[in-house]
Amino acid sequence: MKPTPTQCLILACGNTLREDDGVGPWLAGWAQDRFHADPRFRVLAAQQWTPELALDIAAAAAVLFVDCSSITAPGAVMLSDVSPRGTPQGLATHHLGASELLALALELFGHAPQKALLLTVGAASLDLREGLSAEVEGALPRTCRLLEETVLSLVAEPKSTQR
Amino acid sequence: MSQTITIDPVTRLEGHGKITIQLDAQGNVADAHFHVTQVRGFEKFSEGRPFYEMPSLMARICGICPVSHLVASAKACEAIMSVRIPHTAAQLRRMLNLAQMVQSHALSFFHLSSPDLLLGLDSDPANRHIFGVVAARPELGRAGIALRRFGQHIIELLGNKRIHPGWVVPGGVTEPLSPANRDEILAMIPEAYTNIKLAIEWYRKVADSFKPEIEVFANFPSLFMGLINEDESIEFTDGALRLIDAQGNILEDGITANRFTEAIGEAVEPYSYTKFAYYKPLGYPAGSYRVGPLARLNIARSMGTPLADVELAAFKQLAPGPVQGSFHYHHARLVDMLYGIEKIEQILTDPLILDKHVRATAGVNRLEGAGQAEAPRGTLMHNYKVDENGLITWANLVIATGQNNNAMNRGVLQAAQHYIKDGKFTEGILNRVEAVVRTFDPCLSCSTHAFGQMPLALSLLSAEGQLLDHVTR
Repeated sequence: MKPTPTQCLILACGNTLREDDGVGPWLAGWAQDRFHADPRFRVLAAQQWTPELALDIAAAAAVLFVDCSSITAPGAVMLSDVSPRGTPQGLATHHLGASELLALALELFGHAPQKALLLTVGAASLDLREGLSAEVEGALPRTCRLLEETVLSLVAEPKSTQR
Repeated sequence: MSQTITIDPVTRLEGHGKITIQLDAQGNVADAHFHVTQVRGFEKFSEGRPFYEMPSLMARICGICPVSHLVASAKACEAIMSVRIPHTAAQLRRMLNLAQMVQSHALSFFHLSSPDLLLGLDSDPANRHIFGVVAARPELGRAGIALRRFGQHIIELLGNKRIHPGWVVPGGVTEPLSPANRDEILAMIPEAYTNIKLAIEWYRKVADSFKPEIEVFANFPSLFMGLINEDESIEFTDGALRLIDAQGNILEDGITANRFTEAIGEAVEPYSYTKFAYYKPLGYPAGSYRVGPLARLNIARSMGTPLADVELAAFKQLAPGPVQGSFHYHHARLVDMLYGIEKIEQILTDPLILDKHVRATAGVNRLEGAGQAEAPRGTLMHNYKVDENGLITWANLVIATGQNNNAMNRGVLQAAQHYIKDGKFTEGILNRVEAVVRTFDPCLSCSTHAFGQMPLALSLLSAEGQLLDHVTR
């Protein structure tokens, strides 16, 4: 079963029961509303990034990973490049990071989007509750703007790595 | 001076656990325990909730096998309602449960265990993961990913979500199967056959190289239990339980959900939050038994599907009676998956599969109800009591990992005693002790989402608790 080729995959991660960890699924919901009529985009959200998502990534010309960050300041919005990297980090269990997923797509299916970015929002709290903290709530308008600008620029110049 | 080795947490499992190995004064293994270190509380906090909420609440126990909890819970609710669900709903649930089994087994076999099976238990732990598998045998990595995808996509098509679908409800399912979704699933079947056959052929070639491990990986006589149909073929969603002894004699047959607690009791141990199930007439721990893929194949006379029946016949050649070595759980998992694919194909050709009547309705007609199903890891039982308004007053869940708990502990002890001598151990030995637990594919508490990475730490402690050695990876 092969996923439909996509110009840009928006792939979010997070647990909506762990407060700011839910910002990824929240942004995926926003992106789905914003781009649902645009066939260039495909939006996926998962509680964890699992190896089979490599199939979806391999079918995309560009990918934007969306997640929360426990490292950056609460509410800080960061956009960074992601490159394929098959490091042992996270590999002992069944979930992977963005770099590992790209590497897996390349190794298994001979293709990974050359343009891959990671959008993160710094978490203020990862407690066991639904909803987002005030810091993350406050960051949502500029995060949505950045997400929109980013994915539109990604579909403007799709590039990919072939093996 | 006695010492304690702790493997904390154990890696490549669903959830968190740790292993403690107690050495005697000579450095040989005196005792070993597999600990489940988290308490969940689902049975307690469901009290006071309306019974019809239970399936969606209970599904949250697990992100890997929510469907089994959905099904067992819905069946318990239907016992309270005293309804029989429509045939089509039963078939659709069966398909959903099988799809979950395929994706869960694919995760266990390809993602968690194939690094050991392909690269070896003594291979460099830096490479002993899915990338190592992909580098060595990319077609195997692709097969694993595709089979997991196969199961997940069926769940998504039926339940609209890969994880925690809300489609299964007390009385049946919320929506019938559409012709488009039926055709989409049928179109995925040929590739699924190709992938599972590749895996079975590959496993057949490598299994013999693990003969030393087969001998000491939880290899001992025990009872086995699982669901079967009246024709003694394997069953995942309906049917009744059969319990056999180590020689294959039937101890109990036709155990329906409402009789479960007559036959099965639960014990507790101070070192684990997970309960230890046992067959009541034999008491604890003599009545401990195993469930899951190995048990299913041991209790069933047939799979009920042609390709899986061929594989079952080959599996039964491994021993004159029930297959006792837990290493063979891997093999049984592959046969389960083949059966699942065949059965899904059969279900989709049921002339009533697109029928629109998929839900029965009723209120509270009994104050207690129980439901059982086969989860990927083994038998799962939900039992609820309600008041006259349908509010839960008491709930009890007997999960597969609890039913395998005693066998896992015995297996850890068996392997530790075999491999650890004079207080010396290597990384490969540590991995073997963990791999014993992985054969059972226990699901400890995976919906307790961990943030960050889980390191593996092994600590060597004196009897007084002094740290003598420490290894992390």
